[in-house]
Amino acid sequence: MQLKNQKLSIKSYLDLSQLLKEYRGSHEENRTFALKHKKLEKAPTKLLLEWLRRNSFKIRGELNSKKYLEYLTSFDSIMGIMFFIIGFFVGLGLLSYNGQAPVNIIYYLLIAMFLPVFSMSISIFTMFTHGKVANFLTMLFPLHWVEKILTHLPFKNKIEDFKAPFSFEFSKWLFMERLHLFSMLFSIGLLLSLLLMVIATDIAFGWSTTLQISADSFHSFLSYIGFLWSNIFPSAIPSLELVEMSHYFRLGEKLDISMVHNADKLGAWWKFLAMTTVIYAIGFRFLFWIFSKDMLEKQLEKEFLSLEGVRGILREFQTPFVSTQSPKEEKHLEIKEKKEEKTITIDEKLYESILGWNFSSDEIALANDARGIKALTIWAVGGSNSYAQDLQIIKNMSGIVFLYVKSWEPPTMDFIDLLEMLIENRKVKKIQIYPLGTIGKHYKNSDSDVDVWIKKIDSVKSDKVWIVYNGK
Amino acid sequence: MENKVNDYPKFAVVGHPNKGKSSIVSSLALDDSVQIGNTPGTTQVKRGFPLKVDGKIVYELFDTPGFQRARRILAWLEENKPSSADKRADVIREFIYQFRDDKRFKDEIELLEPIMDGAGIIYVVDASKPYGPEYEIEMEILRWAGQPSMAILNLIGDEDYREDWKRALGQYFRLVRTFNPLQAKFRDHIELLESMAQLKEEWTKSIKTAIGVLEDLQQQKIDRTVDAIIKGTVKSLSFVYTKRIKSKKASKEEEKSVQERYKKEIIKYEKNLEKEIASIWNHRSINKVDSVSSLDNVPLFSEESASVFGLGQKELIVTGASAGAIGGMGIDLALGGSTFLLGSFIGGVVGGIGAMKGFDNLYEVKLLGQKFGKRELSIGPMKNINFPYVFLGRMLYHASIIANRSHASRDTLELKNKNSYIGKIITSEMRKTLEEVHEKLREKKEPKEELIAKYREVILESFLKLL
Repeated sequence: MQLKNQKLSIKSYLDLSQLLKEYRGSHEENRTFALKHKKLEKAPTKLLLEWLRRNSFKIRGELNSKKYLEYLTSFDSIMGIMFFIIGFFVGLGLLSYNGQAPVNIIYYLLIAMFLPVFSMSISIFTMFTHGKVANFLTMLFPLHWVEKILTHLPFKNKIEDFKAPFSFEFSKWLFMERLHLFSMLFSIGLLLSLLLMVIATDIAFGWSTTLQISADSFHSFLSYIGFLWSNIFPSAIPSLELVEMSHYFRLGEKLDISMVHNADKLGAWWKFLAMTTVIYAIGFRFLFWIFSKDMLEKQLEKEFLSLEGVRGILREFQTPFVSTQSPKEEKHLEIKEKKEEKTITIDEKLYESILGWNFSSDEIALANDARGIKALTIWAVGGSNSYAQDLQIIKNMSGIVFLYVKSWEPPTMDFIDLLEMLIENRKVKKIQIYPLGTIGKHYKNSDSDVDVWIKKIDSVKSDKVWIVYNGK
Repeated sequence: MENKVNDYPKFAVVGHPNKGKSSIVSSLALDDSVQIGNTPGTTQVKRGFPLKVDGKIVYELFDTPGFQRARRILAWLEENKPSSADKRADVIREFIYQFRDDKRFKDEIELLEPIMDGAGIIYVVDASKPYGPEYEIEMEILRWAGQPSMAILNLIGDEDYREDWKRALGQYFRLVRTFNPLQAKFRDHIELLESMAQLKEEWTKSIKTAIGVLEDLQQQKIDRTVDAIIKGTVKSLSFVYTKRIKSKKASKEEEKSVQERYKKEIIKYEKNLEKEIASIWNHRSINKVDSVSSLDNVPLFSEESASVFGLGQKELIVTGASAGAIGGMGIDLALGGSTFLLGSFIGGVVGGIGAMKGFDNLYEVKLLGQKFGKRELSIGPMKNINFPYVFLGRMLYHASIIANRSHASRDTLELKNKNSYIGKIITSEMRKTLEEVHEKLREKKEPKEELIAKYREVILESFLKLL
């Protein structure tokens, strides 16, 4: 079976969440689906994605993911461009050289290296903490507050009517991923401005601080910073001579005379600054971005698989569907409740003929004795008699025929055949059917058993036939 | 996914009318949609109930109409008696062929057809009624069919004539078993299947497979029931209802309406859970009739419910104390143990006294959010210590009734045995685990997965006690 290469995304997560509120499929449907996709048996996420693709048309109304992703995309685009532009202008500001005082590389390092390293350090804590601590740490990032402010913008209202079902942990990784992306864009803007300024202007770099730091110490410090590229790009590490000649002092009316003489050499700092930006502000940020993106995907998968209803569907995918029901719809028999009263009480104690349906002659005699009933002749019908034998007995019947039946045995069509033969016999004036209870119950019948007999006899539609019933 | 050939065992459940054939099929097929009644002839046509696993039939049961004119059929068979016994089945086939369109023998043909198609015979009699020789005609016809057969003694009434029946049935059937479809539990069901497996060597493997499948299915149902109970309990206990109000202070009517709405929602959760459990156990007919519930006559928020399903006064004090102690322990831990467990002790005493207040102390109504002029009245999560046990007790009770209920039963569910219930299925040790989760929910915290797993073990253990 050809499968579309579906990838887990925020869209699929939101779509599944929305679909599960409206449709989950039956066990039979889900199991059949899983059996058709045997290849994905060991990949629940992919199987679910395929299930989502097949069933997404069942989502009624507008997709929540559309609204949310439109918001997220526009927000991210605005923020991305904004961070890039800010980075670019911060770079321009930091590198603006008016020909008087050289550009202090410490300012630049502060923005291109120290601040990112500090921000990344906090983000490490944020990544590996949870709950309130992580929540507090996210507040240290300006992005958190920018987002807060932007929630009051009009386009945010569009998605207010649905609540994204993200957990705090997922929101945290989503925040971290975007934080690193925007910071990287900021740094790219910064690098771009550096390169542009280097090309377009002649910048004299210098370094100066209120602290009493010697050129030696500063050079060692810079060597540490440039350790990562010192072997592959040694010209991007400032020499001690350059560090010494770039040291300038804020106090004094004029610049150091050696700085003025070596103004052409002072520009050599740009390689170091560019590499610092590339490695620390962009490279490390990129690694953080990749890591948080990966963690976001892992968290997304975790939450995708723990959406309400998913566990049940996955179980249905794996569990054989067992059916025990009949595929054939039963035509329910209409039970006729309304019946004509076909019961009588009896006073007679002597009958010409007494028949016993499925009773032996001895059993009939015993029942007669118990009820104080006498008969001139006793006939056993049904039971082991043949149909022809019964026919012969019926032919000889006349007057009132008293017929014992087993009350607990419902009348079969075999009995109805016998009854119809009796009805057709013109010599027979009346047929009194006596439903007898079991010997264990002293021949006492139950109302429900008699009721079955009354209903059946009612269907015969004959005035000759009556059920002997002395009431409850 | 359908079987290519009919190579699976088939069984036709046959007998006299109204002897419980449909009840047996309904019970074995776990299908409560089968029409069962004391009116003879309820089953008019044969109906197959295949046990399918992923569409593949493992075995099939046939519900059939009862014998109506057995004497006349046997007479015809005797008239056409072959010279040797091995040809008798052919005479039955001939009978079916000749009388297929004869309305007089419609029922017999319906019941004989699956047998002549290879189905084993399960002959059902009501052993609570005396044996009669008229049954021998039916048994003789079945003997002519020459298929593997067994008899089931169904006890519909209160008398017992099993010994008489066994003597007679032993003449015709290799196996005679007692099976009461209305009272049969899962084990009885399996034992009957094991007997059916003995009828023919070739069927043993399939029936053993079916037993395995049904055992797995039973376990799945238990697991799903327990999961549903836990989900429903957590949802009910952590439910919070909020309503916006206009004035600075909520009026009595507003408070009352919020309380009523809150209770209504929790009752709705309970009802939905009842339906879900009925559906898990495939009791579809119960679902159709909302009012047919064992718990309808004992409302959730009633003193009676608390007394039947809740904890006793003593248990309540102990649980309240332990809940308070859990809260106090948090203070002890936060202060690094410098309180010498005083927090746990005070928490325990306060919790114990609080729990004695009884079932009235259900929830707190809070006024929330004064900013931006929005005022809300909030109620929940459930504060009452007894309530989780009442809810759990009711659901475990309902689930056990449903799980133990035969699919052949058509009676209304009723709440029996109103003595204290929860104490018998949840021990004080188990209660400690439950209370840890309840405490978290009361504090609006989400219990950790490990804690929920322990909670599940307790609920499962309690549920298994009831099965």
